[in-house]
Amino acid sequence: SGYGTSVGKISKMAAFCVRCVGNSKLSNYMQLKRVRIIHTEVLAQNPTALSPLYPPIVPSLTARSKAAKQRRRDEYYKKVYAAPSVQEKLRLLTCLQRLKYVVNTQTSAINADRWYQHFTKTAYLSGLPEHFTNSGMDQVAETGDIVTSKALSDPDFEELKSLFCTALLQENFYMRKRTPFLYRTIEHYFSPFLNNAVSALTTLLAAQNPLLKESSLDFKPQVNFYWMRGERVVPRGHRKGSVDPIRFQIDDHPHSQIRVPKQLPEFVPLDYKVPAEVPVIKLEPDRLPLFKRQYDNHIFIGTKVTDPCVYGHTQFHLISDRMHRGRLTKANLEDQIEVRLRANAISSLFAWTGAQAMYQGFWSHEDVTRPFVSQCVITDGKYYSFFCYQLNTLALCVETDCNNPRKNICWGTESMQLYDTVEENDVKGFNDDTLKLLVQFLLYRPKAL
Amino acid sequence: MAELVVLRSLWNNLGTGKSICKRCLQTKTCDLIAVRQFYVTSSLFGKRRPPAIEEDIEIPGLERITFADRKYRVPGLAEPTFPEWNRGWRDPFQDPGPKYEEMPLFKEKACYVFNQKTKLLEGVKQALWLTKSKLIEGLPKQILCLAEDPDSRIENEDDRVQRAISHARFWDTTEVRPRKEKYCPVLLSNLLHLCRMLSLRYPSLSKRILAENYKVAAYWTRESSLFQVRGINGLLLNSTSPLAPLATQEEVQATESHILETFYPVSPTIDLQEVHVYEEKNDTGFRQGYPYPHAHTLYILNPLETCARFEPYQLQAKMIMFAFGNLLARARLLYGEQPRVLETPLVMQTIATNGRMFQFVVFQLNTTDLSSSDGIKNLVWLDRDQELYAYAKCLPEIKRKIVVVPAGLSGYRPETFRKFLAMYLHGAVQPSIKTEASAS
Repeated sequence: SGYGTSVGKISKMAAFCVRCVGNSKLSNYMQLKRVRIIHTEVLAQNPTALSPLYPPIVPSLTARSKAAKQRRRDEYYKKVYAAPSVQEKLRLLTCLQRLKYVVNTQTSAINADRWYQHFTKTAYLSGLPEHFTNSGMDQVAETGDIVTSKALSDPDFEELKSLFCTALLQENFYMRKRTPFLYRTIEHYFSPFLNNAVSALTTLLAAQNPLLKESSLDFKPQVNFYWMRGERVVPRGHRKGSVDPIRFQIDDHPHSQIRVPKQLPEFVPLDYKVPAEVPVIKLEPDRLPLFKRQYDNHIFIGTKVTDPCVYGHTQFHLISDRMHRGRLTKANLEDQIEVRLRANAISSLFAWTGAQAMYQGFWSHEDVTRPFVSQCVITDGKYYSFFCYQLNTLALCVETDCNNPRKNICWGTESMQLYDTVEENDVKGFNDDTLKLLVQFLLYRPKAL
Repeated sequence: MAELVVLRSLWNNLGTGKSICKRCLQTKTCDLIAVRQFYVTSSLFGKRRPPAIEEDIEIPGLERITFADRKYRVPGLAEPTFPEWNRGWRDPFQDPGPKYEEMPLFKEKACYVFNQKTKLLEGVKQALWLTKSKLIEGLPKQILCLAEDPDSRIENEDDRVQRAISHARFWDTTEVRPRKEKYCPVLLSNLLHLCRMLSLRYPSLSKRILAENYKVAAYWTRESSLFQVRGINGLLLNSTSPLAPLATQEEVQATESHILETFYPVSPTIDLQEVHVYEEKNDTGFRQGYPYPHAHTLYILNPLETCARFEPYQLQAKMIMFAFGNLLARARLLYGEQPRVLETPLVMQTIATNGRMFQFVVFQLNTTDLSSSDGIKNLVWLDRDQELYAYAKCLPEIKRKIVVVPAGLSGYRPETFRKFLAMYLHGAVQPSIKTEASAS
């Protein structure tokens, strides 16, 4: 540039030589802006004293270029960062409708759990976290900032057990019912039982877990989550060759859920080195099969942001008749029984914890600063599987995932029987351990309580 | 009875172009109104005069000359009637089904059934006549004492109830506002969740269980007509111990002099489903040996917005009828089929809501001798149209630039929830405040 040639070193600030200051083109500008004619030595001592003469040179907003596209994206991110409220942030992130893969929580796809782990960057660990395995039934210990509590006293446990048995018998024997509709057997016999069981658990355990006293119990709630993971090149059409993020949506309808006003403590620290790997699947999601639809993008934990109970505690899922283990055994898919339960847990809990994190203002470019934890129990009335989930990262899109060492973690058990059979007015072979684990699940709470 | 049904149907169909076919007492499109058929579709889609049915006149002794042997129509000859062709086997797609008269449970005497969709014309008056009951406005003293008792309150009651209402009315959906079909059951389950938390303070509250989709059946005779209450009614709270009678023996004896209100010329069987194929059944919905045999409270929802919704008087009638049905089935089980005056009256509560308005009914069954309108009557306490809140608006209502109703929840009335809670606690908790006349 012709300016400042007589000045030794050109700085980015407005340092003009004496000759240029006399230039008429600059005179008007200098009247408006704070421009000083300075010596290079002064400038070297205080380089930040001056404001820029010109606005920064940035790519166009409307041009058909990669730079312009990046600039548009950056402007959009700036708007999201600067959103005044969580509702506005969520609206900005979900307002644009595009084709997205609809991830079903109860799916009949083979080996769906590995695919879902890939979509949600979840590492699966079999067995439950240390909190549940270390706390013995009769121990009272304080481990770090998790308080392991004494299990329910014997009379209370017996009362809970009898309530469970009665609720089971009420639906299966005492109440006169017509034969269930096709594929609605589990819902017909066990949905009301689970209603009563969850109510009884919440009520009886509220004495030991004060968090349950302030909890909110939803029946047939709706949980939605929308996220982007990975990229694909558009294969054909007028946009051929352009790079698009792959969008996913989960629309889940658990049987019931407990929401609490305080967040549950983490199972492991945020930077924990998970011993398991997240499976990487190189095939596109269509091959699972997953299907694309375009409709409203929802991020919902079961209630709007203004509700005080915005943190999740436990979800209860009732599997559908199509996923019943009898049917899978007949179709030679015995190994898929546990796979489907895991897929259900990973997708439901990722959606729930992800939505909880987004309700606190985190999103893929503002990653979570504390882990979000939730639990779920998946059952068909007789068999119970317990799952815990810790969301460590929401940064799943390509830009943010490249240097992200964090993984989400899901712990889970195999199916445990609650009872053997129900004969007439008697429940045979009731398994106390399953009920004790259920009690432990519901007693989980922050240390302060 | 027939002429009264005709009268009502005529009244209802005035101006609609429908009339009564006197032969079958059913409404049909009137062929007295002129129907102009200018367009193809109106004539194709049934807006036409129905063809006049010409009856074959049978004169005994005279033989009808038909064109049967000629096998083609001849003007002047009658149309032949052939014997009905019998296929010889039952084709399910062509089977019209058995006639009512051929069914094994067919009876000449009609039975009038009250089911969950019945909307009685005369509302509470009709329900009281059918159940032979005396009405007392307001809730009984024991429950009112419990409602005013400061010890039997939840912590931060107002705040928590308002939160429960806001969750049901505002927060439970991804849309702007949830519909009544959604928020009505959610509000009830939220309120029940709050009430259940008190079982930490009163352990006898945990001796209860909820039952949904159960079917009740009860039958009785009232002045030579047979009535039944049948079907799914609502959410039932069962308990291990029965509710104590609320009225004293003197009050029960005093009902003998009470005269039931009739509503002539309307028949008491109006709006009830008349059936000829029925079974006289008494069933509580649960088998013998059920650990929670005593019905405590029935929760009835009125979640529909359309014409199918219940008006308050129809809802109150439904509450009374189903409470009576449940108690009658239980009484027959305990004391036998013979009509009698019960030594220990049975008591049950019903709460109905449409998401904002609550109706409370307490029914005390004193007698199963219902044939005549004299004698001891049953007792019904009715607290009607109790608002839980006035408005729950997502957007404020502004008239001429003045905010008439603000956005959010407004007009919250804590008394209604206290009554709801009192009815939940009734039977398990004694009020600490006792008035002079309350039973111990």
